[in-house]
Amino acid sequence: MIRLENVSKEYSADSPALINASAEIEKGEFVFLVGASGSGKSTMIRLLNREEKPTSGKVFVAGKDIVELSSWKVPFLRRNIGCIFQDFRLLPKRTVASNVAFALEVIGRPKDVIDQQVPAILDLVGLSEKSHRLPDELSGGEQQRVSIARAFVNRPLILLADEPTGNLDPDTAVGIMRLLDRINRTGTTVVMATHDRGIVDTMRRRVIELSDGKIVRDQSGGQYR
Amino acid sequence: MIGKIRFLLGETGQNIWRNIALTLASIMVAAVSLSLFGASQLVARGVDNATQRWEGGIEFVVFMRADAEQGEIDAVRTLLDDSVGSGIEDFNFVTKEQTFQEFEEFFAGDPELLATISPDTMPPSFRIRPTDVEAGAVEALGQAFQDEPGVRTVVFATEVIREIQDNAQKISTIMLWVGVVLLVASAIVILTTLSIAIASRRNEIEIMKLVGASNWFIRIPFMIEGLFQGIIGALLALPLLAFARRYVIEDFSESDRLRLLEGFRVTDAEFLEISIYALIIGTLVATIGSVFAVSRYLDV
Repeated sequence: MIRLENVSKEYSADSPALINASAEIEKGEFVFLVGASGSGKSTMIRLLNREEKPTSGKVFVAGKDIVELSSWKVPFLRRNIGCIFQDFRLLPKRTVASNVAFALEVIGRPKDVIDQQVPAILDLVGLSEKSHRLPDELSGGEQQRVSIARAFVNRPLILLADEPTGNLDPDTAVGIMRLLDRINRTGTTVVMATHDRGIVDTMRRRVIELSDGKIVRDQSGGQYR
Repeated sequence: MIGKIRFLLGETGQNIWRNIALTLASIMVAAVSLSLFGASQLVARGVDNATQRWEGGIEFVVFMRADAEQGEIDAVRTLLDDSVGSGIEDFNFVTKEQTFQEFEEFFAGDPELLATISPDTMPPSFRIRPTDVEAGAVEALGQAFQDEPGVRTVVFATEVIREIQDNAQKISTIMLWVGVVLLVASAIVILTTLSIAIASRRNEIEIMKLVGASNWFIRIPFMIEGLFQGIIGALLALPLLAFARRYVIEDFSESDRLRLLEGFRVTDAEFLEISIYALIIGTLVATIGSVFAVSRYLDV
């Protein structure tokens, strides 16, 4: 599903963000990216949805070399990749349902499809009761659920999560991880960058550890360390 | 498809509404610049039409006073008859009624103005084609009629044309250049308005990119917004131009030189043509501003 071949990314010549990284992630895998701040986790996430291009090396997603992808095709790549973030990135003036519907509207899905899929996904993330609330009326955990609903409503092949529990208390974080686990069980590949030792140690999934831009460990059923 | 169009138009409407003050300013700049451009064309057409009236070799016109007696008119006619073959090629007499008829044609669109005049107030005139069209010779010939009883004034084509060209053409050129400068300003204002609209929606745009909205889907609402400003500006310029057209004609009609400038008018067909130009140019300017804005500020 995802393959990195000798990928390097330099923002400036003296401090490369990623050095000669190679990894392969199968369809349906759940992978943690761990490492200190600035170790290259976010850079790797940004390379996977073509927010960034590597300085050298190749990135394959679903069999396609996305580095060489022409810019007009990038949106179609991203329709297969859901993204969630530490800061949720919801639109504050739109309701929960409207935030989720927005993701379908802007890729031109017909209204009847939207009307059917939005309630279904809100039910999945457990927010049916709050579909008409505004984001700032929700708790952090609920807001992250909305952002997961938005990322997943289009049934992407891959879900990229950049510190999704970073702003949440441990109990709430567990709820979010349950949801991500559920999504993973539907066959969606999940790549999650995190600092959260407890989550990584509890879930026992594949761990890719980065340090100063290098992959220093790639272990299935791993721990945070 | 209908859903897409509705969504895009909805986004555009929201953009315009959120940014209403700047959008209005942008529309006004477009309207004023297109009005000036159009007005310069109105004057240019008017000049063309006025100069054409002097075609056919008529080099000077002897205007009689409106209250000139028949004897006085006859005396001038006799003088002209005597000169045919010696300096004058030929001439024709334009009666009060003919002058009035011409006047009626010129100002057909202006019944109020026509209501204030009658054949009685029109000056009869002789339009003369001299044999020798050299300016000095024409002037010498014309001046001879200046002091005849009943003659109000003698007007020379060269003088009139030069006067019109010196003044009106200059005004037209100045208006054209000010119009062009303002059109550039208009494109910049549209660009700025769009850049602010884009900045105020950067969160939406970021999410649209994230969930895979196509580049055109992101650009189109801003393009429509820019076009809207240009086209509405152009549509507002049209009534301003219609007003200017009337004003220009009325200004000349009140001036003493009306009879010299009786051809100074712009036909409906010409006005329509100028209006279409204004619309096309407004759309073009808006397109340029919009394309610059989305390519510069909308990094998709």
